Amino acid sequence: MLRKSFISLFIALFFIAAFSAKANDIVNVYSYRQPFLVEPLFDKFTKQSGIKVNVVFAKKGMAERLAREGKYSPADILLTTDISRLIELRDKNLIQPVNSAVLSSAIPKQYQAQDNTWFALTTRVRNIYSAKRLGKIDLNYEDLADEKYKGRVCTRSGKHPYNVALVASMISEHGEAYTLDWLKKVKSNLARKPQGSDRGQVQAIHQKLCDISLGNSYYFGKMLKDEKQKVWADEVYINFPNQKNRGAHINISGVAMAKYAPNAKNAQALMEFLVSKPAQALYAKTNMEYPVREDVAVSELVASWGSYNADALALEEIAKNRTTALKLLDQAQFDL
Amino acid sequence: MSTLLTIEQLSITLQDKSILSTLDLSLNEGDILGLVGASGCGKTTLLNAIAGFIKPSTGRIVIDDNLLNDGEHCLPAEQRQVGMIFQDYALFPHLTVKENIAFGLSKLSKADQLEQIDHLLTLLKLSDYRDSHIHQLSGGQQQRVAIARALAPKPKLLLLDEPFSNIDARLRNELMVEIRLLLKQFKTTAIFVTHNKDEVFTFADKMAVMAQGRLLQLDAPSIICQQPNSYQVADFLQLGSWLPCQINATSAQSLLGKVNLETSDSKRESLLYLLVKPSNLLLKVSTDANNHMNAQVEYISVTEQGNHYYLSSLDDSTDDESLAFSKLSVYSDIVLSLKQKVALTIRPHHYLFFDKPT
Amino acid sequence: MIALYNNKIWKLVSYVTALVLIVPMLVMLLGGVSASTQLFLHLWQTVLPTYLENTLLLAFWVVLLALLFGVLSASIITQTNIVCKHQLRWLLLLPLAMPAYLVAYLYTDLFDYAGPVQRNLRTWFDWQSANEYWFFDIRTLPGAALMLALVLFPYIYMLTRGTFEQQDQNLIRASRLLGLTAKQSFFKVALPLARPAIAVSASLVLMETLADFATVQYFAVNTLTTAIYDTWLGYGDLGAANALASILMLLILFVVLAEQRSRTGLRHQSARPNLKRELIQLSFGQQILASLFCWSLVVFGFLLPIILLIIMAVQYSDITQLSALVSTGINSLKVSVFAATIAVFIALLLGLYQRLHADKYRHLPLQISGFGYAVPGTVLAMAMLSTLGPVDHWLNEAVEFLGFAAPGLMLSGSLFAVVFALVVRFSAIANGTIISGIKQIPQSLDYAPASLGVNLLGSLTKVHLPILKPTIMMAWLLVFVEAMKELPAVLLLRPFNFETLSSQVYQLISDEMLEQGALGAILIVLFGLLPIVLLNKHKEKV
Repeated sequence: MLRKSFISLFIALFFIAAFSAKANDIVNVYSYRQPFLVEPLFDKFTKQSGIKVNVVFAKKGMAERLAREGKYSPADILLTTDISRLIELRDKNLIQPVNSAVLSSAIPKQYQAQDNTWFALTTRVRNIYSAKRLGKIDLNYEDLADEKYKGRVCTRSGKHPYNVALVASMISEHGEAYTLDWLKKVKSNLARKPQGSDRGQVQAIHQKLCDISLGNSYYFGKMLKDEKQKVWADEVYINFPNQKNRGAHINISGVAMAKYAPNAKNAQALMEFLVSKPAQALYAKTNMEYPVREDVAVSELVASWGSYNADALALEEIAKNRTTALKLLDQAQFDL
Repeated sequence: MSTLLTIEQLSITLQDKSILSTLDLSLNEGDILGLVGASGCGKTTLLNAIAGFIKPSTGRIVIDDNLLNDGEHCLPAEQRQVGMIFQDYALFPHLTVKENIAFGLSKLSKADQLEQIDHLLTLLKLSDYRDSHIHQLSGGQQQRVAIARALAPKPKLLLLDEPFSNIDARLRNELMVEIRLLLKQFKTTAIFVTHNKDEVFTFADKMAVMAQGRLLQLDAPSIICQQPNSYQVADFLQLGSWLPCQINATSAQSLLGKVNLETSDSKRESLLYLLVKPSNLLLKVSTDANNHMNAQVEYISVTEQGNHYYLSSLDDSTDDESLAFSKLSVYSDIVLSLKQKVALTIRPHHYLFFDKPT
Repeated sequence: MIALYNNKIWKLVSYVTALVLIVPMLVMLLGGVSASTQLFLHLWQTVLPTYLENTLLLAFWVVLLALLFGVLSASIITQTNIVCKHQLRWLLLLPLAMPAYLVAYLYTDLFDYAGPVQRNLRTWFDWQSANEYWFFDIRTLPGAALMLALVLFPYIYMLTRGTFEQQDQNLIRASRLLGLTAKQSFFKVALPLARPAIAVSASLVLMETLADFATVQYFAVNTLTTAIYDTWLGYGDLGAANALASILMLLILFVVLAEQRSRTGLRHQSARPNLKRELIQLSFGQQILASLFCWSLVVFGFLLPIILLIIMAVQYSDITQLSALVSTGINSLKVSVFAATIAVFIALLLGLYQRLHADKYRHLPLQISGFGYAVPGTVLAMAMLSTLGPVDHWLNEAVEFLGFAAPGLMLSGSLFAVVFALVVRFSAIANGTIISGIKQIPQSLDYAPASLGVNLLGSLTKVHLPILKPTIMMAWLLVFVEAMKELPAVLLLRPFNFETLSSQVYQLISDEMLEQGALGAILIVLFGLLPIVLLNKHKEKV
């Protein structure tokens, strides 16, 4: 009886092994970025290299999935839309360093990890959108707490990674006590409780529900290209905050190699492709993002918004303050 | 005639409640047994145990020398060759009449099946309904299908659970006679459960009376009617009404006078109940001195056998409360009015006295 | 009830299946037990009370509104003399085909400040800004409750109507003869008798509400589900998230069990119920009101949203989307067909086990296998990874030990995980449908085959399964549709390059770009209509 079951177990495992023979020329991507944003890039990569790119996308929980899967995870590469995720992946020991001259030379020092575990691909500004009806205004993030904007500010959930990162940068600049106070004041200025997406806030300005909102830079470009949303975007100016002091808050979209990447070589090839000039130009052109390479130009539309000063705060600082930022948001009951 | 069914010391406990206790029963081949008893007395449970739907706690069930149950062993229902006709017929709604009858015949060849089905359809006058669905049939027709289906596999024993309760009263007698003849034709041994004793008289060769999980009496119906063996049996079968009597060594004293006992048996001085059938009571109203008024009319109804009266003892007739009676049943051609006083006497007959169970 | 069989293999398979279905929840509970209290304390001091309050308020309003919609419409359709009853009878089921997040999006679009309704109002009345008039804000807790109730009420409607239609009218006649008017009889007899059905369907609505995440998120209503996501994804504390999810699950189970207990013994069944109904005669005005009520449920729950979708599709869709739609559509079909088939198979296995077997605890496998319904999809997905991950690792190690190359994650990284999650989540629906079908079979039909010499297998294949065929089809379709609509579990557990209709539609919604996904959304709704049409056909035949 025991022997019989042992043999059948063996046969079963043999079949498992036999049927899961692996294809060689693939690279597997876990992505926080939406497929339609990255697919054109992957198509180009496949055409160039013959390596097939498999993608699974989720806005939430990819890192957790990777952690659960452990050393048998099929993931080679992780694409994130936020520095905090990258740091979290590194802190949980889920990614590995990639020593590539191509990567380290193409990307400015402040936009890659010192230990080569993560690399930025694009940068994005957390802009302040303002209604055209207010005229041209010059704003700091701190001004969102100003009483004169009572009932005129809109934002998405404070817990969204983009806002959490902004709050984290506020903590770095001003300390916890100031930031909590700031959050409470911003909250009291809100026209409605935090909801929707960054685009939804521009829609709200268009609807005259509010006058000022927070939003990432590339959304402005994307809205201008959308038939329906262009009407909203036409109602607002895009402003780069804190230009007279520390500069605008910057976040990155980035890439890292999974610790147990089964196709490490292909993964590195893809990473190097993503910082190549054509790929970076594609990022700039189709996604309206700021390419991380300094020698690749932004799109014409993005260029028309003007140049800006970026906050020089180290990205790792932002990630470090993330949990504190979340706690402050809870304390201010920002989303309620 | 050989014994077909033997039940020994059968006990059944369901959910910590004793339903049947140490029941013995045997039945000859070809006999039809009518099982009567008040509802909840365990008769349906007994049926289910024989069919194999319930596992008894202890006891043996043997059919045709095959042991179906002993303490541990329990032959699955489908291997018992015991057929059953359910109270709701349990016909398969998704099958036609023909398919219902064929259901238990899968072991036969197709040709044999068809022959058997046709035979039964003809016998039960169902030929026209061969391909009908069950819901297209009347209650009586459904009953016939149920019987055809149960008889088709030629069971050694057929169980019928209140088979006639859903049938129109007018059709019922006719159907019973018909089915009885059919069972006799097939030489089928059968047990059927009912709470209606009249069905037993029409349908059965043997009668068994059950109460509270016990078998009280098992015999031919006529014998049970003449010789009930206990107060409960006589009372359940409504063989007569009850007259309280004070028993002495040689006589029994009641409010209707004293009767002499044929045998001065060893019964102590005690209070017993005399079973009085209406035919053994004599009722008079004429007011001559010989006739002592000892009862009054409490209830009047008209029946085919004449006027039916319930009589009670007079309030002031005795000091002994225990001898008072309240519901003696009498048939008479004399027209009486409510509360009218009458003289009652008992005709001499073979007296049956019983202890009333508490 | 006396059960007939004692098939050891069936017993073993039943218990093992139920266990497998509940393992993810046990993993979740265990994970919750070891949670640190520190984060809890922080949450409790800051946002948790509000989340809890919102959760309870939302549940309360959704159930209340759904009861109002469902019971009232069922009563009107079955008990009164309004016109177009036969059309309304099935039209009222249509909202079931609408995913709540879709309706939420469409109505926000419609009733927002910039939406056509307010825009036209402003033009007519020459208002300049939002301050000059009052208009209800749909993105609020009552708004979310209304949206959820609009698409969930058909559960209550369907079951309540069924009960009303099956009620023995002799009971109503008896009450009329005892001096009650038709209306009084309805309130004193028919309605109380329908309580079990109402309670069951209300508990379905409750569970759907508590597990919803897309609608409440879109409406920015922070509930316990939000707290679970925050703790897990924001603070990265899976233990605390598991603990919160466990609390939510136990809360729901408690409600469900209490409801079950409260209605044991409340049953009237007549062998041949008299179904001829005497209708409550409404006055002309009442008829108009009643019709208006039913029609507005149909219009707002289904017609209006589907028209909006069609308009969007016509305006924005182009042919190039179709090919992508076909592949996502096939993916959706694939997971839904698998999930529905497995869930129904399990429901039959456990339902018939409960019915036919002599086991003191025969209800247990069926009961526990439905627990997954009470778990929000994302939490379930997480639990699924925690459960399947170790199994996968064990398999890989075993294969490697035998000298082969490791096959990778066959369970947690494949369609298996998605289908398993859907089965765990929707088993309760299949179970409920199948068991109600089984209960319709008279007990004597269990015995009849045995008395004719037919064994368990024959009894199943020749009696129980054929009789249950319509029920099986119904259960299959219900799970199929729910699986088509299900979102979070699919989102997180997807294998590579795997997009379903619901995940695609949801992603576009969260970028305020539903227009691009209108065709996909219409497809989901069309699939959702299938069981409703078939259900209606089937009922009409009977």
